[in-house]
Amino acid sequence: MDFVDSDRAGGSWQSHGAASAAAVRPDPVRSGPPLARPVGTVPSAISAKIVVGGGFGVGKTTFVGSVSEIAPLTTEAVLTDASTNVDDLAATPDKSTTTVAMDFGRLSLDSELILYLFGTPGQHRFWFMWDDLVRGAIGAVVLVDTRRLADCFAAVDFFEDRGLPYIVGVNCFDGVLSHSLDDVREALAIDSAVPVITCDARERESTKKTLIALVEHAMRRSAAARA
Amino acid sequence: MNGSNGDYSDDQSFVDVVNTLSGGPWRTRRRGKSRQRQAPPPVAPAPASQTPASGHDERPAEPEEWSEPALGASVARPYTWTQGRTAPVIDLGVETLVSTTEHGHDMAVLTCAEHRAVAELCGDPRSVAEVAALLSLPLGVARVVLADMAAIGLVVVHRNTYSSADAPDMALMERVLSGLRRL
Repeated sequence: MDFVDSDRAGGSWQSHGAASAAAVRPDPVRSGPPLARPVGTVPSAISAKIVVGGGFGVGKTTFVGSVSEIAPLTTEAVLTDASTNVDDLAATPDKSTTTVAMDFGRLSLDSELILYLFGTPGQHRFWFMWDDLVRGAIGAVVLVDTRRLADCFAAVDFFEDRGLPYIVGVNCFDGVLSHSLDDVREALAIDSAVPVITCDARERESTKKTLIALVEHAMRRSAAARA
Repeated sequence: MNGSNGDYSDDQSFVDVVNTLSGGPWRTRRRGKSRQRQAPPPVAPAPASQTPASGHDERPAEPEEWSEPALGASVARPYTWTQGRTAPVIDLGVETLVSTTEHGHDMAVLTCAEHRAVAELCGDPRSVAEVAALLSLPLGVARVVLADMAAIGLVVVHRNTYSSADAPDMALMERVLSGLRRL
């Protein structure tokens, strides 16, 4: 593995490369057009983020979609095999790349506040993307399918490790709760302060309630930390 | 139902297999301060025979689920490199909002197509993730373009305020809470 030239990793958009390298450098004496920063005209928009974790097929995308004002979007991070010379894509047509996709939805909570819901990419080995996701997040909802409870261990571990407030939402696919919430809590070995609730990822009202439970939990934790 | 592997035998996905190997879905999660973050399960590195995804034309097979790229853990390294490159000056979170400035609305200054596309899109504030998704750009590329545009005043980045340790402040959480209740 010789990652010699980081600048060349993922080198699509080369036409752009030279210009961008110069442009992003903060240069106070840069002679360009006068910077237009119309502070008064730009809305003071602000965003918040909630992460949705859980195993495959547990209903993360359904959960996000049930409450999002847009159909969930998918964004992809391209992972490039940097050991090949990717500066010239034509020279390496079979360059090895892969993508990690994550779905997200959007909720305008007031005229200047947008809440984004991000699903975690499923595989454990994409932890580095999870880091990106949890940074600055209010907290996380861990969706659980009691038939495959162990699928959510990784998510619970990760959020605990990062100190991110989370709650557990037991997704009742058929409206039937096949295990008691206490059993779930015990099997997950989570703190008694962490809410474990039932939800139906398909239902907007249920998703809304779950999100409210999470934000309340995060605020309680934040208040406790300050006290 | 407890511990019965038969429950999911009809639906053998990767995780099912892992579950089966590791003692079934009702194995209790081990807990403790010294717990290591879970490494990829031993079976995780995909067989090399599987065709790797080619470029970002690759779409998740099922829109409902995440894509399952067939590469080992080492793919994290190059991405780390790329990230170092993609956010050189401005740190842009996936949820960070950007919007086009007046300067950016001036089509005359928008010399490249990507900048024009972003400027049109961000008339209303959009998150970095939305820009990436709506323009079908990989996240890392969208970050580079947006950082460039911010550096020359075409877009403005709306900074979120964090109390400490990257956690949102109480006022923001209160706003989110009341916003959710109003829905």
